[in-house]
Amino acid sequence: MFLKYVVLFFAVVLVALVTNGAFEVWFSYQEYKSSLIRIQREQAEAAAAKIGQFIREIEAQVGWTTQLPWSAGTVEARRFDGVRLLRQVPAITELSQLDATGHERLRVSRLAMDVVPPPGSEIDYSKDPKFTEAVAHKVYYGPVYFRRESEPYMTLSLAGTRRDAGVSVAEVNLKLIWDVVSQIKVGEHGHAYVVDSQGRLIAHPDISLVLRNTDLSQLAQVQAAQARARGAPADQVQEAEEVRGRRVLTAYAPVAPLGWFMFVELPIEEAYAPLYATLYRSFLLLLAGLLLALIAGLFLARKMVVPIQALRVGAARLGAGDLGQRISIKTGDELEGLADQFNDMAGKLQDSYADMENKVETRTQELAQSVGELRALGEVSQAVNSTIDLETVLNTIVTKAAQLAGTEAGAIYVYDEAQNEFRLRATYGMSEELITAMQDQHASISEAVSDLTAAREPNQVADLLDQPSAPVNAIMIKAGYRARLLVPLLAPDGPVGALVVRRREPGEFPKNTVDLLQTFAAQSALAIQNARLFSEIGQKSQQLEVASQHKSQFLANMSHELRTPLNAVLGYTELILDSIYGEVPEKARTTLERIQSNGRHLLGLINDVLDISKIEAGQLTLSLTDYSIKGVVHNVYGAVESLATSKNLALKVELPKDLPPAHGDERRLTQVLLNLVGNAIKFTDTGEVAIRTSIANGSFTVAVHDTGPGIAERDQGKIFEEFQQADSSITKQKGGTGLGLAIAKRIIEMHGGRLWVQSELGHGSTFAFTVPVNVETQVGH
Amino acid sequence: MSGCILVVEDQMDNRQILRDLLGNAGYQLVEAENGEEALAAVAKQRPDLILMDIQLPVMDGYEATRRIRANPDLKSIPIIAVTSYALAGDEAKALAAGCNAYVTKPYSPRHLLAKVQEFLPS
Repeated sequence: MFLKYVVLFFAVVLVALVTNGAFEVWFSYQEYKSSLIRIQREQAEAAAAKIGQFIREIEAQVGWTTQLPWSAGTVEARRFDGVRLLRQVPAITELSQLDATGHERLRVSRLAMDVVPPPGSEIDYSKDPKFTEAVAHKVYYGPVYFRRESEPYMTLSLAGTRRDAGVSVAEVNLKLIWDVVSQIKVGEHGHAYVVDSQGRLIAHPDISLVLRNTDLSQLAQVQAAQARARGAPADQVQEAEEVRGRRVLTAYAPVAPLGWFMFVELPIEEAYAPLYATLYRSFLLLLAGLLLALIAGLFLARKMVVPIQALRVGAARLGAGDLGQRISIKTGDELEGLADQFNDMAGKLQDSYADMENKVETRTQELAQSVGELRALGEVSQAVNSTIDLETVLNTIVTKAAQLAGTEAGAIYVYDEAQNEFRLRATYGMSEELITAMQDQHASISEAVSDLTAAREPNQVADLLDQPSAPVNAIMIKAGYRARLLVPLLAPDGPVGALVVRRREPGEFPKNTVDLLQTFAAQSALAIQNARLFSEIGQKSQQLEVASQHKSQFLANMSHELRTPLNAVLGYTELILDSIYGEVPEKARTTLERIQSNGRHLLGLINDVLDISKIEAGQLTLSLTDYSIKGVVHNVYGAVESLATSKNLALKVELPKDLPPAHGDERRLTQVLLNLVGNAIKFTDTGEVAIRTSIANGSFTVAVHDTGPGIAERDQGKIFEEFQQADSSITKQKGGTGLGLAIAKRIIEMHGGRLWVQSELGHGSTFAFTVPVNVETQVGH
Repeated sequence: MSGCILVVEDQMDNRQILRDLLGNAGYQLVEAENGEEALAAVAKQRPDLILMDIQLPVMDGYEATRRIRANPDLKSIPIIAVTSYALAGDEAKALAAGCNAYVTKPYSPRHLLAKVQEFLPS
């Protein structure tokens, strides 16, 4: 940024200075040049005027000699006039007079003897231009020529206006032109020169050039002057080369009567020397200006960038949260204003943060208090819900209540039905002496509490000293307590106690304390009710447990007592059938078999009743050992084979080879399968019963399929319920307790398996169960 | 060889059945109606096998079995528990007390005889 500003500033100043300098130089160059040209032209004009004047004067003087015609006056008189003219006009060195025929009649000269040719020997100039041109144009200016290789001369002839006036021819010394030319001073090396209408050099400070008869008609300025004199359009040439090849500033003026041109020229380098000096000065000034601009740029950029940097750093720190810092910029301009605004903003932010922090702190305190109250309530609730011991709950409540209410002591009274009075059940912050003193006064205290709780509203005393004397008050005042708040513990059917807090400092209790204590009171009331319920439940459950024990014992006993005679019945029957006591007549044998069958059925009933009562009491436990499912199936097969045969039913077994050894309650699984197969045989009159065993996903599936009557879908759920059969009339026909499937289902579930039925009326039934191959723990109770 | 079997059973009918069953099978029987009598009989007769009912007056079968097992002279006599207790754990309890086998009532005399013959071939 710093560099950017420096470069920018420098560039602006550079452009301004350079543009200004360039314009200045250009215009001053133009102006200077035109003023030089003007001066030169003026000089040239002055000189040209001087020369013109000189020629005109000579013309006028010579004009006098052409006034008279040759017929008037004598030659002598003319000679006298001529001599006088020579005396008056030093520039005329010789005057000859021609008559109207062009013959020279008189010649007066400063350099030679006067000549008056005798008649007939006059030189004829009638064909000479000095005669013909003068007669034609009245004036004739001859070419410049030199005498003695040093002085320029010119022939000037003038014709008279009258008839027979003749022509006067004067040889004019042009040294004056030289003087004029050499007098013109143009700068140091400037000079003036004159060229004639043909472009030949007539006068020049360097005589040698003139004497060499130099032709300047090729110079651009001369050509331009000639062209303008002819009236042709031509640019004014201001800069050109002079005869010696130097570049010059040039200006000219025409010498009026002669068609000559007066040139004034100044070498360029000299002409522009002051300009170059100015240029050089300007350049130096420019450099100085730029240097100054650079310094100023550096200074300004520094002055601008440094505070901006400070501003940026400050703003960044403010942004980062350092609100305590202030930006210090003393530039006295908008930047300082901006910094002040930043500072102001930071200050306000700091203030609002502080304000916010205060608010947060206040809220936090409030929250902390609320949290404290909530936590206390939570603890109380937990105590109420988890602790059956009423003493503990009430102690917790009174402690929390007294602490949160900011009191030194607290107590809870609970109505005791047996004693018919309110008794002190929990205290906080009360000395043994005080408690003893209060218990001594239990009757009057109970009465007071009873009176106060009857109102069902909190009751407070700001100062016990203001109260009428009462035994409790006296004790409390003696112990140093002054303020008291009592909140009744209300159950649906009336007050069950009171929560009391006592404070040494007299004064009203604030409303939120009263509200809080009411909440505690509600919890206390709940706890008291809970405790009563608990104790009732406890008594009931104890009674229940005793009853349950009696029942279990009764069942065990009954089971035993039933089995003992049954053992005799079945035992004797078998012994008789086995002919221990001698041959049995066939008729008796049949009867005995019926006895045996019924006895066994009775045994089954006893076993089922015992099992179901064990299941209900949660006493049925599996005896988990290693077993073989194949063995179970074979045992069941062996047990029911004769039964199936007796009913003419095919009994099939499907067992895959290589079944793995299993772990579970073999006896119970056998019981389940026996039940299923027994049922199948029992309910199937024709066809077959098949036991199909398979293994998948670590479980055995044993399915018992029969071709019996099937079970309607609506009855399929019912048959697993205790004492249920699909049709109650079946019990009468087929026997059974209706407990078998319920027990079987339970046993399978205890193995972590499942027992289900698939059946359709008229299409037989399939009862199947799955059990994990390895049952390590019993599921459920 | 026909062994001597001590039948400990308080119920008369059941004693009669065993008497008929085992006598018929050629075993010699000694009977006891409770644990104390059983201990006395064991000491006196030194039977080859004991069929022990569990629920007995005076001293139950568990206790009697434990005492027999506590006597180094008698502890090798096989004892088969014969009980109408059919609760889970009863068998384990009987085995823990020192019984060699466990038969529940009501038993099939045929099966009981087979069990006896395992220990005492007739």
